[in-house]
Amino acid sequence: MSKKKVLVIGLDCAPPELLFDGFINDLPNLKKLLQHGVHARMESSHPPITIPAWMVMATSKNMGKLGLYGFRHRKPGTYNEIWLANSYSVEEKTVWDILGEHGKKVIVIGVPPAYPPRAVNGYLVSCFMTPSTEKDYTYPKELKKEIENLVGEYIIDVVFRTEEKDKMLKQLYEMTEKRFKVIEYLMKNKPWNFIMFVEIGVDRIHHAFWKFFDKQHHLYQPGNKYENAIKEYYQFVDNKIGKLLKLTDKNTTVIVVSDHGAKRMKGAFSINEWLIEKGYLVLKKRPEKIISVQEAEVDWSKTKAWGWGGYHARVFLNVKGREPQGTISPKDFKKIRNQLIEDLKAIRGPNGEKWSTKVYTPEEIYPDGKGDYPDLTIYFDNLSWRSAGTIGYDSSYLPENDKGPDDAVHAQYGVFILYDPKKKRGRKIEDINLLDVAPTILAIMNIPVPPDMEGKIVREVL
Amino acid sequence: MKKEELREHGFIVWITGLPASGKSTIAEGVEKELRARGLKVEVFDGDEVRKNLSKGLGFSKEDRDTHNKRIIYVCRLLTRNGVNAIVSLISPYRSTRAYAREQLPKFVEVYLKCSLEECMRRDPKGLYKKALAGEIPNMTGIQDPYEEPLNPEVTLNTENDTSKQNIMKVMQKLRDLGYLD
Repeated sequence: MSKKKVLVIGLDCAPPELLFDGFINDLPNLKKLLQHGVHARMESSHPPITIPAWMVMATSKNMGKLGLYGFRHRKPGTYNEIWLANSYSVEEKTVWDILGEHGKKVIVIGVPPAYPPRAVNGYLVSCFMTPSTEKDYTYPKELKKEIENLVGEYIIDVVFRTEEKDKMLKQLYEMTEKRFKVIEYLMKNKPWNFIMFVEIGVDRIHHAFWKFFDKQHHLYQPGNKYENAIKEYYQFVDNKIGKLLKLTDKNTTVIVVSDHGAKRMKGAFSINEWLIEKGYLVLKKRPEKIISVQEAEVDWSKTKAWGWGGYHARVFLNVKGREPQGTISPKDFKKIRNQLIEDLKAIRGPNGEKWSTKVYTPEEIYPDGKGDYPDLTIYFDNLSWRSAGTIGYDSSYLPENDKGPDDAVHAQYGVFILYDPKKKRGRKIEDINLLDVAPTILAIMNIPVPPDMEGKIVREVL
Repeated sequence: MKKEELREHGFIVWITGLPASGKSTIAEGVEKELRARGLKVEVFDGDEVRKNLSKGLGFSKEDRDTHNKRIIYVCRLLTRNGVNAIVSLISPYRSTRAYAREQLPKFVEVYLKCSLEECMRRDPKGLYKKALAGEIPNMTGIQDPYEEPLNPEVTLNTENDTSKQNIMKVMQKLRDLGYLD
């Protein structure tokens, strides 16, 4: 049997700008992997969001094939009802499912969506979606007790959209400390051929502290006390990674990945205020306070489109025969959608500056899409402006996120580093895609790549 | 039944479909996932159950009904004590399944949709072959009818979809129904 092992270190949201350039000289362990391995920018899914980007990576299937378009999905034919993705929503085989079928022992920690915990050929710890640690969050169930004996109460996630920055930092370090302690414990005490974990803390610190370190951020204040918060956390994580590397042998390939990148947020754009202004969305009554569009008194009989917030915007059209009070006849659907696309692309910034807004139709990004995708996916100013779903503002342009403080947005490119102790080389290769990770792992472990995987094997690493 | 009692009650995943439509695969997969959640679950599958519960019974409509009703009875005993069960049974008659639904409060009917042609092509036990050769008299799909469910909780396409897709669909439905966290 092959002695090959793979350790996949997932750093949620880690951008190449910080990991390959900005911080790398202060991260000795990651620098070693970078200098002796192969690295590339890794293109994320469209849109680049945690769910389902990690599953695009794990299954080598695009979002359309997965039928997952985010955490929230609209229930078809409704205006206000949603369903939330969970681990059972992932119907395609993950790389660890396939490895398990080939008798490989796997350990999977925090790769979303991982709640409810699913059976694997080894051990699994759920992700940030776990409702509380009172629930069972491991496979097998008994692993929870082992974890609690080791670290006390395990921390699933932190509240990151908060003004209580010190408290958040304390929780964040505590969470990551415990997570790595669990990973170390499992690496030492359980049999494994494959380990993958995701540290969600990297994403959380970006969103909570970006404005304190990025001098270009519109809310940056020189000399603030959190100037180095993100870098110090990266150093902390790097140190923990160093400890894990000590537990690997010469047969272990180490892969560092992120699901998407990050960049400074320039502001939030209220998609629904804009739709109201343009006459696509009609209210019966203006709200007196800030509310979600779901809470608003919408005149659906006159509405053509409404939108959702998030790092990107999702827009739904009100179509006859599909929505309860549809106004657009199916034959006019494309014409009206094209007009809306044009209008969206023409949006300029608050000072009249040109934006590079991207608008995607499902046909473009999910050609074989199934399930409940939106009619349009929009990146305001190429994601630099997030979308606010709420209404009740004087302007569509908001300086801050409408759902609590958040300084960063997602970016299209994440990172990929692959280090094989037997093949030291150190070079940057052409950009790869999330889809390429699973087939590459299988190739390293000498397992046949299923023909329906959409990515390619990164040949440079073999 | 009071709400409190119902919450304590086990659920039944009743998997019905033609011979060779993939019932055992789905039953095994769902069992594994339910056990992964630490749930108590019993599986009633195929010949083993028949040997123990219904020795001597054949495959006439009457005998099938008796056999299915015995399983329903055992399931009732289990579920009222909080044990969940998966039944993997051709159960070709609507009336029998309607009876099961009536008897078992948390009844989840899972219909495996697979064409007769595909089932005959698979034929892992060689039953279709024997039936066509006249060696088996009451084969469902050949001499005996299979009455498709009219309103099952879940319909799975076992001809085109993978077993993981189908197993996840059952798990999701159990969650949507509030039977799982």
